[in-house]
Amino acid sequence: MNPIDEAVHRSDVLVCVGSGGVGKTTVAATIALRAAIEGKTSLVCTIDPARRLANALGLDLLGNTEQRITTALLEQTGQPAQGELYAMMLDMKRTWDELIERNAPPDKRDKILNNRFYQALSTALAGSQEYIAIEKLWELRTQRNYPLVVLDTPPTAHALDFLDAPNRILDFLDNEAAKWLLTPALAAGKVGLKLFNLGSSYVAKTISRFTGTETLQELASFMLALSGLNEAFRERAHQTRALLEAQTTSFVLVTGPMAERLDEAIYFHTVLQQHHLQVAAIVVNRVHPLVPARAWEDASQLPAGLRARVVKTLDEAEANAQADRRSIERLKDACPGTPLVLVPRFERDVHDIASLWQTSAHLFEPQGAGLVKQPGQ
Amino acid sequence: MNASLANKRLVIVTGKGGVGKTTVAAALALDFARAGLRTLVCEVNAKERIAPLLGRPAVGPQVTSLEENLWAVNVQPYEAMREYALMIVKFESIYNAVFENRLVRYFLRFIPSLQELVLLGKILFHVKEQRPDKSWRFDRIVIDAPATGHAITFLSVPQVLLNTVPPGALANDARWMRDFLVDETLTAALLVSLPEDMPVNETIELYAALKDRVKIKPQAVVLNSFVGPRFTDEEVASLSRQNAAHDFVAAHRVREHLSSSAFVRLKGLGLPVICLPRVHTPAFDRAALETLAQQLAPLREGTT
Repeated sequence: MNPIDEAVHRSDVLVCVGSGGVGKTTVAATIALRAAIEGKTSLVCTIDPARRLANALGLDLLGNTEQRITTALLEQTGQPAQGELYAMMLDMKRTWDELIERNAPPDKRDKILNNRFYQALSTALAGSQEYIAIEKLWELRTQRNYPLVVLDTPPTAHALDFLDAPNRILDFLDNEAAKWLLTPALAAGKVGLKLFNLGSSYVAKTISRFTGTETLQELASFMLALSGLNEAFRERAHQTRALLEAQTTSFVLVTGPMAERLDEAIYFHTVLQQHHLQVAAIVVNRVHPLVPARAWEDASQLPAGLRARVVKTLDEAEANAQADRRSIERLKDACPGTPLVLVPRFERDVHDIASLWQTSAHLFEPQGAGLVKQPGQ
Repeated sequence: MNASLANKRLVIVTGKGGVGKTTVAAALALDFARAGLRTLVCEVNAKERIAPLLGRPAVGPQVTSLEENLWAVNVQPYEAMREYALMIVKFESIYNAVFENRLVRYFLRFIPSLQELVLLGKILFHVKEQRPDKSWRFDRIVIDAPATGHAITFLSVPQVLLNTVPPGALANDARWMRDFLVDETLTAALLVSLPEDMPVNETIELYAALKDRVKIKPQAVVLNSFVGPRFTDEEVASLSRQNAAHDFVAAHRVREHLSSSAFVRLKGLGLPVICLPRVHTPAFDRAALETLAQQLAPLREGTT
């Protein structure tokens, strides 16, 4: 059985990871589409800040809530859909607000929502996206009934943050320093963290020069307001960690055949294994097809004016194909035991349902059927 | 049009993931250096690629000379934070006593985006550096910036911090950085794109986001992997489908079309568009980079 097919049957969460520009969003959308057509109702969710998924699904805009892809659109695949397909794009700010509204005690809620640190955290700042993505995944898993959720993730460096997000928040909450800072203030019910009680101390003075005293005061007040949520965060972090490690969660690592993408993929594969996460397959996207020897023979029959240009084109195509083959061999050696799925390069962008469906034929091709296809098919 | 990159101190190279930002940043820096401009090229990526592309060993977090007029650095958050703090507290022993303190590290980690600020801060610090004769240590600084969404976050950090932190040393630094980035006589963004629909869409969105939200004006577009005209539609039609070369020729023709339509759409932004031809080498090496550098020269000269 094809490893992606197997993962779709076995899993209720599929996480697509990989570096930027390798077609991760397209792969995520393709898997969800194929599953839906074949009868497993699916949701594809992207946390990528660029609006690529909407693009790939031919939709103008996706909001923070799930949107059903119409039957008419699904019919563009030329297949009868046995299941339903939903898509959504994560709205970071709204998901953060919902999280606070759900968990914060009423008297703290506005204090948090209006704090400048919170506003920065929930809108523009790097890193919080990954945490909130996993929060959304958990919500989708527990509050909804999708047989399959396919999650698209931001590029590598950030996808690593994404894997670590539950651990990091736990680390934050369990940190001795945090407890030490927060406990007396909580008891006193006011912003009077020990750090500031040090008053004229050397440490406090030096930090203030670095950040400004008021920054620390405001940050302290934010942490104090947030501290009521400790238990909720702690519980959620354990749950999301368990969700990622579950038997029914699989990872699909997407890469391209270019050398620099490959290094990132190999690194990422190692990290996933270190985290004991199941890698169902490595998808090598946009592989140049090999040129059959017959192509040069056929070219030699062409009129002289055309011949040279055709031969040049074949030579270029062959150089690209050979470079890709070397990359794939290297990937195989570096990731033994993980199946590779090769998807040929299409000369058209995959940006509508019909072309997603075409892509799925390659993603779900039975293993060993080989890749050597002509371009344009 | 004569905007381009002539006379800009800072050039930020950005675009969708996988379009070749790093390659363009390296080639541009090489072109600057060849023209006699002392150039520093900065990476902020976990995995360093520029020095290896130029055929040199990785340089790490120290500014390192690669060849005449060309320096590189891979800016790392930890080292940048240390350098930044040392600039303020002046003495290493104080730094160690204070900033290596667990409690303090914990606190600093929780100040939103301080990491991004110090990364950007370190890069902009080099803009101000002078030599003993008061000339700039670096005439040009090229940043290989993160991809689209993260680039916007990264470049917005000074403004976001200004909205977040009350007056103080941090706010002053953030203001200086913001002012430098939005000054279009000093700073330019260079957008890198590919001749495919989605990357072009994203380039157009990125243009608007940089210009309107971050207030950094993009000055030019580099269209990478451009495939120039080679066949006519009639020639493709004249080939039999039974001819084993047919599909490869047809595919080439499709790429020609995609390239020319991408060019037209990007041209619509009103910026100079430089087309870099697709390179078919077994391994992208120094020679390939030299060729790209020559093709980028019009951007430096302002003759695009």
